[in-house]
Amino acid sequence: MAGKLEQEKRAEFKRYKADVKKEGKPFFPYAVFHDTIMSLVVVGVIIGLAVIWKNTDILGPLYQAKADPGTTNFVPRPDWFFYFLFYLLRVFKWPETVVLGTVGVPTLCIVLLIGLPFFDRRPERTVLRRPVAMVAAILVVISMGVLTWKGATAKEALGSETVSLVPTWAAKQGFAGDPVAVAGATLFAQSGCLNCHSYLGTGSHNLGAPDLSAEGSKGRGIAWQIAHLTNPSSKTPGSPMPSFAALGVENLTKIATFLEASKGPKS
Amino acid sequence: MAKSTRRTQLDNAVLTPLDWFEERTGLVGGVKYLLFRNVPRDTNWMQTLGAATLTAFLVQATTGVFLAMYYKPDPNSAYESIQNITNHVTLGWLVRGMHKWGASLFIILMFLHMARTFLFGAYKYPRELNWIIGVLLLVTGMAEGFTGYLLPWDQTAYWATVVGININATAPIAGPFIAQFLQGGSQIGPDVLAKFYSLHMLVIPGAIMAMIVLHMYLVIRLGVTSPPWSPVAAGRKRDVEAPAGFGEYREGLIREHAEEREHAGEEA
Repeated sequence: MAGKLEQEKRAEFKRYKADVKKEGKPFFPYAVFHDTIMSLVVVGVIIGLAVIWKNTDILGPLYQAKADPGTTNFVPRPDWFFYFLFYLLRVFKWPETVVLGTVGVPTLCIVLLIGLPFFDRRPERTVLRRPVAMVAAILVVISMGVLTWKGATAKEALGSETVSLVPTWAAKQGFAGDPVAVAGATLFAQSGCLNCHSYLGTGSHNLGAPDLSAEGSKGRGIAWQIAHLTNPSSKTPGSPMPSFAALGVENLTKIATFLEASKGPKS
Repeated sequence: MAKSTRRTQLDNAVLTPLDWFEERTGLVGGVKYLLFRNVPRDTNWMQTLGAATLTAFLVQATTGVFLAMYYKPDPNSAYESIQNITNHVTLGWLVRGMHKWGASLFIILMFLHMARTFLFGAYKYPRELNWIIGVLLLVTGMAEGFTGYLLPWDQTAYWATVVGININATAPIAGPFIAQFLQGGSQIGPDVLAKFYSLHMLVIPGAIMAMIVLHMYLVIRLGVTSPPWSPVAAGRKRDVEAPAGFGEYREGLIREHAEEREHAGEEA
């Protein structure tokens, strides 16, 4: 026997069909009219955005630089509607938990969305009588909004922007007179190091990567730094940091010199 | 009364071919049902978001077809072919711009449409399956965004895709295999562009179109929900008072005449 709830739902849908048949209005022209207006607005907005994009700089440039798989200046920025996932990865700072951000949370969200009609089985539709659903929805909207905003304003991924900070770094750390260290700082800014590490307030704290502002005060030496950059886990076992051996020994020496010259800001 | 000459001409020009077509396909009746079926009288503006999403998809499909005529899915010429579309092809900048910004609008409208469905409780019995199809449309729509993002073959796109594929690879069990398939080897290689192109313009849009057809079939079969706050909501028990705070009458998108409203009041 169908439960009371099931019978209630069926009765409601039966009433719905009867009501629509008796009091409803034909789809054409009433709903079609409004759908058409809405569709014209959509097409208009799309054309408007395309025109603004072509004729002004508000919506960003028409092209980026051509893809170069050989470069180390990687700028891993997804399209804006993935910013919430992109920023979610920041929330999981510890290496063991990163998989939660990359796979765990998104999978959970999709499963919850698909399962929604099966764990919210009451026929109630009135907004104020569904407090749990409404609070949950508002929390989801707020957290996605915040994550998208944080992702949009996150700076570290833009190597081209961080390069402009090199003179400031040199002045603060007092290595402006050392061209090798300055070249190393430029490479450091371009090579995506700041996607995980922070340096003088720029960059992020991904995957448990330490701040490098005072790396040179640890007395590890240039040779140690080069060996570490070539094969990080040989010096710090279990490190998730990728190898930067592809940069070549000469470049690695520059970065190592820069790191050793970073004794922490003087002022 | 005998038919006027004009009426006979009209019959011959319009109705005769329609009858011929109906007799052989039955489709005229189907379209008639589609257009003249009733929808709840309190259907409102929020319920145009589905049509808006469909329109955004059709814009993507149409502009995508034209872009595919000029785009070259090859690492050596993809970037240059995009420049050619933007600078040399007649109205190419418009088509490319519409495709690029239409994608964002499509995603936004999918989310708004889903929020409307959630607000109205329209995912409940008997529309559960249509909600699930909608969620799958959202996921495949975002997959379109991910695969299409690589096609201009610029730095941002390339490295975002590298990271995206790496993230894919961290998924348990299937992750590494999917990642290896996508990048065409253990490292991201030149094949990745052709693969993403094929996924972006054949596989995923095909799936999306099939799901849209199912989605709309279910909408037509089950009907759209009345706004839950409407005192004349279809399916509401009329002898039960409308919940507090929703007492005053709100005219829906499809307005009724004042006398009809009074009449409905007498009946209840």
